[in-house]
Amino acid sequence: MKRFFWLLVAVLLASSGLAQQTRLRVFVGGQQRPDVMRKILDLYQQRNPGVRVDIEVGGATSDQQQQYLTTVLASRDPSIDIILIDVIRPAQYLASRWADTIDKYLPAATRQALLRQYLPAYTQANVINGQLVALPGFADAMFLYYRTDLLEKYGFKPPTTWEEVIQQAQTILQRENNPTLNGIGFIGAPAEGAVCTFLLPVWAAGGDVTNAQGQFALTVEQAQRALQFWVSLMDQRVSPPNMAEKPQDTIRQEMQAGRWVFGTLFAYAWNRFQNDADSQVKGKIGVVPLPAFPGGRQVSCLGGWQWVVSDFSRNKAQAHKLVRFLSSPEVSKILAIEASNLPVFPALYRDPDILRVNPWFAQALPVVQAARARPQHPRYAEISEVIRVTTNQVLARQKTAEQGARDIVNRLQAIYSGR
Amino acid sequence: MTQQEPRYRRSFGDLSERALAFWLLLPATLLLGLVALYPVARLFHNSLFRRRLTDETGTNPVFVGLGNFAQALSDERFWTALWNTFLIVLVTVPGALVVGLLLALLANLPFQVRWPVRLGLLLPWALPLVFAGLIFRWFFDSQYGVVNDVLVRLGGERLLWVTTPELLFWAVCLTIIWKTSSFVALILLAGLQVIPKELYEAAAVDGASRWQSFWRITLPLLTPALLVAAIFRTITAFQTFDIPFAMQNGGSSFETLAMYVRTTSIENLNFGYGSALAVLMFLVSLGVTLLYLRHIRGADD
Repeated sequence: MKRFFWLLVAVLLASSGLAQQTRLRVFVGGQQRPDVMRKILDLYQQRNPGVRVDIEVGGATSDQQQQYLTTVLASRDPSIDIILIDVIRPAQYLASRWADTIDKYLPAATRQALLRQYLPAYTQANVINGQLVALPGFADAMFLYYRTDLLEKYGFKPPTTWEEVIQQAQTILQRENNPTLNGIGFIGAPAEGAVCTFLLPVWAAGGDVTNAQGQFALTVEQAQRALQFWVSLMDQRVSPPNMAEKPQDTIRQEMQAGRWVFGTLFAYAWNRFQNDADSQVKGKIGVVPLPAFPGGRQVSCLGGWQWVVSDFSRNKAQAHKLVRFLSSPEVSKILAIEASNLPVFPALYRDPDILRVNPWFAQALPVVQAARARPQHPRYAEISEVIRVTTNQVLARQKTAEQGARDIVNRLQAIYSGR
Repeated sequence: MTQQEPRYRRSFGDLSERALAFWLLLPATLLLGLVALYPVARLFHNSLFRRRLTDETGTNPVFVGLGNFAQALSDERFWTALWNTFLIVLVTVPGALVVGLLLALLANLPFQVRWPVRLGLLLPWALPLVFAGLIFRWFFDSQYGVVNDVLVRLGGERLLWVTTPELLFWAVCLTIIWKTSSFVALILLAGLQVIPKELYEAAAVDGASRWQSFWRITLPLLTPALLVAAIFRTITAFQTFDIPFAMQNGGSSFETLAMYVRTTSIENLNFGYGSALAVLMFLVSLGVTLLYLRHIRGADD
């Protein structure tokens, strides 16, 4: 009887201890290095013994993650407290009222001071209609990855224009005469990355989807030239004819197996090339800013991931506290070292610890600062679908560049005019 | 049976038994109402509103009457998706029936050990649709796929199966037929096993060839089973989603009606219009089912 009494006391104590503990659930995508995120959350748990943070891992691509999150959020499910969202989504989260905006928890002065520390592009991406929807976790942009060993073998310098890339790829492919080696990899599958593929040449030629006033401004001619540029890479045989099958991570995996000379990829690829056990290209990869397009300038596509608190969370105050930690310089540094994620704080691009692991970060800051953002719109999902599916169809030669350009412009125009 | 009938009648008049029946049936009725009737009613209701989660109509839907349906009728993408769905039905239902019949006849042969044959029949059926789609996506991959490998070994050219719409259509149909013919075969195998052996013996005595006895005995007696298989297959073919979706990497160059419904509601968050599309899909399925039911009753009479 006595033993039973003590057991009861122990159970009661344990359960009240559990009740005091706040449990938070954080959602990250499969490609956003959940293993590194876990380490960071463990650190937070050590410092905040009253909080336990679980991690939920979602799909590999931005659109797959959002499809799942839509069903969770549209049904007002409170099980997820914090979500890592793509840079293109804050406007939609605000319009759908899925985000518990950060403003409530920040005095105006603190808010200003805080936002001044980040790269301006991320302040811009996260403040929609004056409301702070999310805080940046890490920055990202597209870069040109190349095989240092192959370029050196033929006496080439890292290219700065696409003409050079094409010419170098042609020479290397011809001389190597290796049927498994491909030239220039770019994102051609109808996933989110194909939106960047389409917009890069548009931006380089001085165009954009909207003008400074936010009105639709893309012309058929701009769209056609952009599509034609990528098709011409296949015509010149520096890219294989099946580019329409290639999502970003397939190119990353193939490049890791030594099958590409060049690849246009986001920053995450570096760490995989250098550290993955199966990498055939350790120490053989260089990174430079994306080359200048014919007659244009150098541009990159802005990526990056933001921490948002779900409006259906039952622990909003605790969740906001965790988001402040996750968007701090300390975490930005850990992510840079462990996952080669670009920091959202300009000062960290000169941090010696970070540069030791990612020497190319030294020249990455201007690229991120000059990177262009994809359109911000509550109906971005539709805009994205129009662009990525049509671009894919043109690369698959189901449509000519001209037909594709007309389709993109007509359908985007309909979305922007509210139809 | 006939002796029990008066007792049955008596108990039917018994109120407490009726009450018992009511209470026994209530959970099932409620469950059906909850998981089948309520969602369908809600779908019809939603289809009459403009409701996008991307603007203020997400929380305050605006009644538009049949506006969404009018929009669908003038929506080229809807008609393309409907047409694609019909094509899938037209190719994969007869395809699965023929392949399923062959498999059933094969499995019905007097094998010494039957379980490997039956297991082989069951495997594709037990596989989730998305897996089948992903596996066949790799089969048809232009670079690493086994299909192109065989083509090249035979002296052919590499084909871009997944990104060429005409080829993709046949790749999708082949996958669906592979995946669904085992279900058809299971139903037909059951049908084959109830055909009395004496009929075949009698036909053999009369000097009928195997071919004749197949056409005169097997096929006519298998008709009810074939019809059941055809109905189920047609209804699921109208809902085709997983396989073409998984085979396109998130693309929509070949889009069925179910895929369009999903993109509109889940991706574009346009729940009003998405519901209207789903209602139209529901009506098409309902029409097909009614047509078949009438046919079956006709056959029974």
